Amino acid sequence: MFQYEKKLQYPVNIKNPNPKYAQVIITQFGGPDGELAASLRYLSQRFSMPYPELKGLLTDIGTEELGHLEMIGAIVYQLTRNLSIEEIKKSGFDTYFVDHTTGIYPLAASGSPFTAAYLQSKGDVITDLHEDLAAEQKARTTYDNILRLVDDPDVREPIKFLREREIVHYQRFGEGLRLATDKLNEKNFYAFNPSFDVQCNKNCCRRDKQR
Amino acid sequence: MTDRETLLQKLSALQFAAWELHLYMDTHPDDCDAKELNEKYICKSKELAAIYESKFGPLSPMTGSGEMWLKNPWPWDIKECAI
Repeated sequence: MFQYEKKLQYPVNIKNPNPKYAQVIITQFGGPDGELAASLRYLSQRFSMPYPELKGLLTDIGTEELGHLEMIGAIVYQLTRNLSIEEIKKSGFDTYFVDHTTGIYPLAASGSPFTAAYLQSKGDVITDLHEDLAAEQKARTTYDNILRLVDDPDVREPIKFLREREIVHYQRFGEGLRLATDKLNEKNFYAFNPSFDVQCNKNCCRRDKQR
Repeated sequence: MTDRETLLQKLSALQFAAWELHLYMDTHPDDCDAKELNEKYICKSKELAAIYESKFGPLSPMTGSGEMWLKNPWPWDIKECAI
C-alpha cells in the first residue's frame, strides 16, 4: 500500500510567479517523459519482475517518482499564483487557462493530454529495464532543456535536484540490468523470458545448484 | 527561514541520505557499510521527525488526524502565508 507523507522530497518556494515557465514545466507533470509516466511505468512493470532486487528497485523508484510528480505540481502551482488576465494573455498561458484555469492538469508543454501510450510494460525483464534506462535519460534531457529556458534560481534549484535524481536512477537501473543478466545464460540472454517462462526459471536454478 | 522550515530542511536531508542508501542497497544488498550508514540515517530521521511532529503537527496519517493533520501549510503552499 501507499501512505502519504506531508512534505516534499526537496523544498519548493517560488517568490515570483511566471506563467511562461509554468507552461514549459507542466510537461514534467503529464508529458511524454514526465513524472506521471515514469511512476506508472515502474509501478506497473514491477509486478512481472522475476527477481527480488528488481521488485524492490521498481517499487522504490516508482514511489520516488510520485514524490517528484508532487514537486512538479507544486512548482507549476506556485508559478501560476495571483496572475492578472493581462499577464495570462501576454505570456501565452491563455491556451492552458481557458481549459484548466490555474488547476494542475497532466499534459505536455505542446498541449497533448497525458496518455498511457507514453509508457510500456512489456513483461520481459530485459526489455522493461532498457525502457527504464531510456526513460531516465529522456527525462534528464527534458530537465536540461528546462534549465536552458529558466533563469529564476527559485525554480532552477528544485529542477536541478530532479535532474540529478534521473542520473542516480539510471545508475541503479543499469545495476539492475547487470544483476538480471548475471542470472541468465551469458551465451544467449534471450533464450527465454524469465518474467514469463516460469518452468525454465526453475530449471535454471537447478542447473545453478548443480554447478 | 522560519523555525519550521529549518527543521523540515534538516529532516529532509536526513531522510534523503537514508533513501539514497536504500536505493543503493536494492542493487547492493550485501554491502555492510551501506547498511550501517542507512540504519544510522533512519534512526536520526525518526528522532528528528518526532521532534518536528511534536512542534508542527503530524507528517503521516499514522501520527495524527483531524485538525492537526489538516493544518496549513500543505507541502505545495507558498511559505508561511497560508491561512
